Amino acid sequence: MGYSGFQIIKEGLFGQKGWKPLWRDPAPKARYDAIIIGGGGHGLATAYYLAREHGLTNIAVLEKGHIGGGNIGRNTTIVRANYFLPGNQEFYSHSLKLWEGMEQDLNYNVMHSQRGLINLFHSDGQRDAFVRRGNAMINQGDDAILLDREGVRSHLPYLDFDNGRFPIYGGLYHPRGGTARHDAVAWGYARGADQRGVDLIQNCEVTGIDIENGVVTGVQTTRGAIRARKVGIVTAGRSGQVAAMAGMRLPIESHVLQAFVTEGLKPVIDHVVSFGMGHFYISQSDKGGLVFGGDLDFYASYAARGNLPMAEHVMEAAMTLMPMIGKARVLRSWGGIMDMTPDGSPIIDTTPTKGLFIDCGWCYGGFKAVPASGFAFAHLMATGQPHATAAKFRLDRFRTGVGLMDEEGTGSQHNLH
Amino acid sequence: MRINCPHCGERDRREFYYMGDAVAVTRPAPDAGPDAWDDYLHNRDNPAGDTRDLWYHEAGCGAWIVVARNTLTHAVHGATLAQKAAS
Amino acid sequence: MARLIALGAFGDLLPLQTGDVTCTEVMRETLFCVAPYRGQHKAVSAALKAQLGLSLPAAGRRKIAGDAICQWIGHDAWVVSAPVMLDGLAAVSDQSDGYAALDVAGAGVEAVLARLIPLDLRSTTFKVNHTARSLLGHVPVSITRTGAQAFEVMVMRSMAASLVHDLQVAMSGLARRGSA
Ligand SMILES: Cc1cc2nc3c(=O)[nH]c(=O)nc-3n(C[C@H](O)[C@H](O)[C@H](O)COP(=O)(O)OP(=O)(O)OC[C@H]3O[C@@H](n4cnc5c(N)ncnc54)[C@H](O)[C@@H]3O)c2cc1C
Ligand SMILES: [Zn+2]
Repeated sequence: MGYSGFQIIKEGLFGQKGWKPLWRDPAPKARYDAIIIGGGGHGLATAYYLAREHGLTNIAVLEKGHIGGGNIGRNTTIVRANYFLPGNQEFYSHSLKLWEGMEQDLNYNVMHSQRGLINLFHSDGQRDAFVRRGNAMINQGDDAILLDREGVRSHLPYLDFDNGRFPIYGGLYHPRGGTARHDAVAWGYARGADQRGVDLIQNCEVTGIDIENGVVTGVQTTRGAIRARKVGIVTAGRSGQVAAMAGMRLPIESHVLQAFVTEGLKPVIDHVVSFGMGHFYISQSDKGGLVFGGDLDFYASYAARGNLPMAEHVMEAAMTLMPMIGKARVLRSWGGIMDMTPDGSPIIDTTPTKGLFIDCGWCYGGFKAVPASGFAFAHLMATGQPHATAAKFRLDRFRTGVGLMDEEGTGSQHNLH
Repeated sequence: MRINCPHCGERDRREFYYMGDAVAVTRPAPDAGPDAWDDYLHNRDNPAGDTRDLWYHEAGCGAWIVVARNTLTHAVHGATLAQKAAS
Repeated sequence: MARLIALGAFGDLLPLQTGDVTCTEVMRETLFCVAPYRGQHKAVSAALKAQLGLSLPAAGRRKIAGDAICQWIGHDAWVVSAPVMLDGLAAVSDQSDGYAALDVAGAGVEAVLARLIPLDLRSTTFKVNHTARSLLGHVPVSITRTGAQAFEVMVMRSMAASLVHDLQVAMSGLARRGSA
């Protein structure tokens, strides 16, 4: 279905009754060439690239709820390529390039807005660290500009530059960073996959993984058994439960991350602003709401809602950074279940079971990864070989200690990320 | 979420620091081998439901405690001193 | 020999009076932390009884005998106000200058503390010589009821000014409401 201007005017005149669903609602077949468990951003993108890049179209995405109901519809939509460590760098760089071509590729408006991201710093030491990160980003081929205090002020005049604890010294500006409409990304990939013949099967929870002699043969679901020689687990916060069906224990703890949105306001925040020292970041959605969040609540949780202490902490940080925000009223808050790894970096790998693959550990940063993760995971599932951009996302790096990617430099330990 | 400290009674979650799954109170022997240590350090049951995890009453009495809790509802069932849970 | 002048941890921040609440520094020349070794609680308690006239109080309690104080300060730890000999029984560390203590008292004291500490400190539940560890604002404190309208608050010395600041804000807030 197209969204031409003509179509929109016509539908407006005739009560919006002519729009058709974006994808089919097929019943599951008895057998597919490959099955993707989980219809979030990563699962849908995997299916799309399996079909587009590798010609695998007899495949199904099994989603226990509805498309867009998981973290893909709960995140704060920041898209950036400002990672520092080898492994993450090339991957997120690739992802941002895929973002830049996504709307043309999917012929779908995901409202990708490269409004620029500014990470603030508050000391000489932090400036040094950001210079180093900026250089690494430039070496990778991405963009980074170091702003001094006045440079930041010219972009973000509304900040409190003279806070006693965190005076603003400057910022690292990443002009290609920005935001996108999160559920549109899910819908765009869903439609693209469906158009290529992929079955998107909603309300279909995987309850078991069938394995014979170390080889995967299919899955058990609430809509019956489905056979397939290749199965990919892409279930974000639920990765632990699904992997357990294949007898695996993962290096993952699921935590809750909250987000908040205010009533709609006139345009006031033109960038994505990140205040790392206060664990606070903010942007303004196209509807006008200020969308912001902070750090994890910091306890294992599947409740998809958080507790008040973190809400208080986030509000305090907001007031510290931009006192004007005190006038805005918070409309809603919610939480999502984050698949946290010990080093804070993801996993895209094979498993001890032949034909079973896993893509997980996205922590709080997997939205920006959607296209590159789908691309790399599709490559792995189709060819058995890791894609060059994701070759370091190994499951065994914790066991061996080789190739840990701890961006925050806090140590590879569960409670530190 | 409020947590019952065995010393201090029911206190707000913000008084506590979170360490993670209570596996930490059953440390493997030094020579248990790399698999046992990998499991202990990294791999988790990560249950959706009842769990036992380790918290530190940082802004209170300073005790490490093992808390029985539900990860789906945030209900806290009870807590014991880690000292007792470990011995 | 030079004569040293005793300076309090709060300098000239105290005393403080607002409305019907007053804050004054509690000067203690010595303070020792006692952490009994594993399995030595009873022996430590007996030794303290012999030396100070005070056995170890339960968690959340303080005992007084004459000038001497023995106060629970956390998991397996107590503070005593006089030097004690507990060789082989407990780790004893001199924390005389580590802590700062103040007395906050007056008719409105519970209302002031209710603004700052998330505990039920009413006299029906928190009686004289009950003590607790918690947060006052964002400052970790040890708080003890010392009388019908009086509490002692102990903090690490570096937090002394923050403690007074938070108390002052709460005290003046209540005084201005005129209903402390
Ligand atoms: C508040 C918040 C803010 C965030 N902000 C950002 C940000 O600004 N930038 C960024 O890059 N990232 C951000 N993230 C992270 C990002 O949203 C996630 O990392 C990413 O969406 C996870 O991948 P996904 O989209 O595939 O997950 P999901 O959408 O959660 O997909 C997983 C799917 O698997 C399904 N599933 C689970 N178990 C089963 C089963 N047994 N059978 C079938 N299906 C199953 C679930 O129903 C779900 O739909 C944020 C997350 C949150 C919660
Ligand atoms: Zn306690």
